[in-house]
Amino acid sequence: MGCIMIKAVLKGFTQKQEFVLFAILVFICTVFTIITPFFLSAYNIGNLLRAVSMIVIVACGGTLLMMTANFDLSTGGNLIFSNIIFAMTCLAGVPVVFALGITILCGCVIGAINGILVARFSVTPFIATLSTWFIFKGIAKAITDNNEIKAGLPKGFDFLGQGQIGPIPMPIIFLVVVVVIFLFLERKTLLGKYSMAIGGNPTAAYLSGIDGNKIIFLLYTITGGLAGLAGSIAASRIGSGNPRMGDGFEFDVIIAIILGGTPLTGGRGTILGTLIGALIVAVIGSGLNMLGMLSFWQLVLKGAILVVAILLNEKFRK
Amino acid sequence: MAEVIIDVKRLAKRFPGVDALTDISFQIRKNAVHCLVGENGAGKSTFIKILTGVYQADEGELLLNGKVFKPKNIRESRKAGITAIYQELNVVDDLTVEQNLSLGKEKHRWGVVQKMPDLGKVASILKDLDPRIQLNQKVATLSVAQKQVIEIAKAISSDANIIVMDEPTAAISEEEVRRLFEIIQTLKQQRVTVIYISHRLSEIFEIGDDVTVFRDGKMINTLAVEELNHNGRSQASVELVKMMLGKVVAEHYTPNEIDYQIKVLEAQNLTNNTLKNVTFDLYKGEILGFYGLVGSGKTEIARVLYGLDPFTGRVVIKGKECRLGRVHDAIKAGITMIPEERRAEGIFGLLSIRENIPIMKMSNVLKNKIISRFKERNLAQSYIQKLRMVARDEEQGVSFLSGGNQQKVVISKCLNSQSSIFLMDEPTRGVDVGAKEEIHNIIRGLSKEGCSIIVFSSELPEIVNLCDRIVLMYEGEIRKVLKNHKNIDSEEIMHIITGGKWGAS
Repeated sequence: MGCIMIKAVLKGFTQKQEFVLFAILVFICTVFTIITPFFLSAYNIGNLLRAVSMIVIVACGGTLLMMTANFDLSTGGNLIFSNIIFAMTCLAGVPVVFALGITILCGCVIGAINGILVARFSVTPFIATLSTWFIFKGIAKAITDNNEIKAGLPKGFDFLGQGQIGPIPMPIIFLVVVVVIFLFLERKTLLGKYSMAIGGNPTAAYLSGIDGNKIIFLLYTITGGLAGLAGSIAASRIGSGNPRMGDGFEFDVIIAIILGGTPLTGGRGTILGTLIGALIVAVIGSGLNMLGMLSFWQLVLKGAILVVAILLNEKFRK
Repeated sequence: MAEVIIDVKRLAKRFPGVDALTDISFQIRKNAVHCLVGENGAGKSTFIKILTGVYQADEGELLLNGKVFKPKNIRESRKAGITAIYQELNVVDDLTVEQNLSLGKEKHRWGVVQKMPDLGKVASILKDLDPRIQLNQKVATLSVAQKQVIEIAKAISSDANIIVMDEPTAAISEEEVRRLFEIIQTLKQQRVTVIYISHRLSEIFEIGDDVTVFRDGKMINTLAVEELNHNGRSQASVELVKMMLGKVVAEHYTPNEIDYQIKVLEAQNLTNNTLKNVTFDLYKGEILGFYGLVGSGKTEIARVLYGLDPFTGRVVIKGKECRLGRVHDAIKAGITMIPEERRAEGIFGLLSIRENIPIMKMSNVLKNKIISRFKERNLAQSYIQKLRMVARDEEQGVSFLSGGNQQKVVISKCLNSQSSIFLMDEPTRGVDVGAKEEIHNIIRGLSKEGCSIIVFSSELPEIVNLCDRIVLMYEGEIRKVLKNHKNIDSEEIMHIITGGKWGAS
């Protein structure tokens, strides 16, 4: 009996993209561990997870958004803007917790602007979020004159990025909390269900009485807020507000989502897949770093991974 | 008998699961206007697609001027002189008339235009057809009819001698129809054969020379319009519709228990672009049928009642006047619609049966505001049993189900919304015979439970076997409301839906 159950579970699992992705992840880890035993050290894994946490946090919202066949390019601009806002509010003497709250709120506002443009004024997501990417990246650079904000930051500033609770680094705690919340949202709430429905068949969703625009607006706002959180962690992690960081962040997010099995055309996707997708990208990056591959070549590799991800998505469409 | 230009011999075409055309034989005379009529799915378009090379016939052959003609694609049929003008016009709105006419004909080397084509011929044809069209005008500023004229000019200039027009008058004004008919007369003088498809029977009597009736993929009859007109036009319309629809009997009709004391819905003077003062009542437990030919306004009534289209007039639901502007309002008022296009508007193909069914009323599967998979599964299983769906289990993806079972998923979805008024637009289109009967029984069952159902259908058998009262539509108007009974006069129905007045009414 138990045996049959396990078989059934395994069968269901092997048909799922997450399983294939997970197998790929394990395989890559194994290869790197064989080549450089240091790869599997707690230090390296901790580093890797810390680095990937910001991408995963934003990609969680981005996954639900892409399930509705929308996407957000502005997360990179939002991240830079947020990391400056966080540093500036902290510098102004606002307690770190409140500064974090303010920054997340700012992120939400940026997301809401995207949401209004897309859902209310029917601007295509590409144009809407590219515009806000430019605008907020530009503002961040303008108000800082493209200089770091470092001097005079309060003591607790680096806690979000470098602190620990017990043995666990803060970014990893954030990562786990956000992933758990979004797994719940995806599987157990109307938000997740409706996102899937809107992307799968917008007309049927409309005729079923689902207010697609409201959901899309909400998801842009949530994704914006998550970018605010990620921006705060990023600032705290490097110990300064830096308008020059976060290059290509928005694409890392989108690659993780697509590699995780959510197509640009929406209708399906999973948070778990996105998490594994982000990990694959991060593991490959970290492993190649250790092998001394230039980061420029890693860009080339990232592009190649994206193509493979798209082909994989096609294969799993049915 | 004039010379035959196209001789259709025992043509057949099959698609997986359906015989689109079976054993079609008829002749098209040279230099005539040959009309094709039939309900949706009767086989007209399939025939046109074989003629223009989009599809290839499985059996039989076409003779063009006495020679076997087997076009493999549109280019080959064009070369043979056949051009089809579709409703979706092939003109680029943002270019000028001149640019549109020369599109694709530019002489070029490596993509660099060497010489623009000589437009003298086509321009002069265009001028003959409609002098108001300027060559440097943007196509976007033209009316639909004028765009058609451009297509016609293009066709003639490329020496087409057979022009197929697929519902050319569906979207143009009456005056433009006049002009189009004049153009068709001119074409005839220029020795062009016109194959004309339309749902408006009056047009056939006006410009047609011959007419071929299709039904269920079969050729029912081909006859000269003159001959058909023998007993007067209204009799001729009835004859045609009879051929289009076949024999209709109401053997399965059993009256429902209707509570005539309770009006659940009153529609008063619904008017919009299509509808003209549509007024009717719906009673508790009643199955009300709306019937009319394509374009009579059935679907529009469903859309208005479901809050999809703007309208003027009043809708009173259970004694309360309702403002219907959004789907949400309609669902709140207890109305649900089963849409006409199942795949495009009804199902979520990527989701499973379990995930599809509760989507209109998720509160039925929530436990402490969280989706309960257990409740979802129970709900799905109960509907699978109740509606006798054939599926592996409730986790099966809906896109893998047959048409009939998909429709049952859509119906389950609507049943779960716990509405009391159901709008069913073509509830059994594309569904096999067995499933059709089952769906009809589901509808009858709903009425027994005290729900009221409005069925919009272009299938008369469905209407007369199901509905207690039959509302007959013609060009956006209610022409007559009939009480159904076993021996209902289908000839009267056909007469009315083709615009005729019956008796004193």
